Amino acid sequence: MWAYEKRLQFPVKIKKTCPKTAQLVISQYGGPDGELSASMRYLAQRYTMPVKKVGGLLTDIGTEEINHMEIICAIVYQLTRDLTPEDVKTAGFDAYYIDHTKALWPQAAAGIPFTATEFQSKGDPFADLFENLAAEQKARTVYDNLLRVIEDPDVRAPLKFLRTREIVHFQRFGEALEMTKSHLDHNNFYYFNAEFDKQFYKPEDHC
Amino acid sequence: MSEKNCCTCPETVAMATVPMQEWCEIYDWNTALKEGTIFTCLNLPIFLADKGKSNLKTNSSTPTSGQQEREELMSRISAISFAINDLTLYLDTHPNCPKGTPLFHQLSKERMNLLTDYAKKYNPLTQLSMVTADLNQNDYAWANGPMPWEGGCI
Repeated sequence: MWAYEKRLQFPVKIKKTCPKTAQLVISQYGGPDGELSASMRYLAQRYTMPVKKVGGLLTDIGTEEINHMEIICAIVYQLTRDLTPEDVKTAGFDAYYIDHTKALWPQAAAGIPFTATEFQSKGDPFADLFENLAAEQKARTVYDNLLRVIEDPDVRAPLKFLRTREIVHFQRFGEALEMTKSHLDHNNFYYFNAEFDKQFYKPEDHC
Repeated sequence: MSEKNCCTCPETVAMATVPMQEWCEIYDWNTALKEGTIFTCLNLPIFLADKGKSNLKTNSSTPTSGQQEREELMSRISAISFAINDLTLYLDTHPNCPKGTPLFHQLSKERMNLLTDYAKKYNPLTQLSMVTADLNQNDYAWANGPMPWEGGCI
């Protein structure tokens, strides 16, 4: 169950229309390392996580990623809401306009549609937690790249906020890895799959 | 339970180790929202970060005093709510933290009071705050107020 709250996690107030910037930022909506992909990744993985507290963390980070998706969509929307017919011809946004006008649609910066093949829900706690650690680093890199090319301080403020969140989430997934390890035998972490081989996995075990 | 907790396992080959974060100095809530974390030790900006200072608060057209009050209350809600978001993730992996847990409860109460106040004065941001603010039962207040993505009241 989710309950909507009528505000953004970080305020977005953009004054200057810029379809070119919107076309870059939209990658964090529907791109391979975007916020939609992040929320779906964590919320899909949580059901079979062997350590209950890690399932809780995946729920909370997955929920925060939905907030981030809303921030990114608000940026794209505010950058394009006052678009004129002349602005529409801007390189990069003209092709998007033909198919979606000013509506939000999840795609990568290069126009590739959002696809679930870009994230993993593998069913092994180590495979999935390392996937998440890598995902946070990839998303941080995208925010670095956006901060390198975007000048408007109204757009940069939320992007800087989101970049820091990637680092915080990386740390938390690292801690989730340690929590998972503490329930397993450190002489061989790979002796069984804690999400599948239930005859070996005892949740109360501690190192 | 001490800050050093039971989750640290012996280091082994073919497995990564990430140190558990220890409680560190925390920012005031407005700075925390701007920086993206309450924890000073997790704020690791890129060299590009200072290019073009944010003018989020300063260069908007002079708001009326009513609008200014509304924006101030919304800013407090944003800052306190974000502190709770960041603290929640910390407590998910440090559930017995003697500093974070009481802070979580204190901030949650403050947040509820601010949301109640906002619902009474302007419009409800959550359906629960329609109850805590004791709104008129004949008014479908949930539909009131600007949509969040419009950027009108931040």
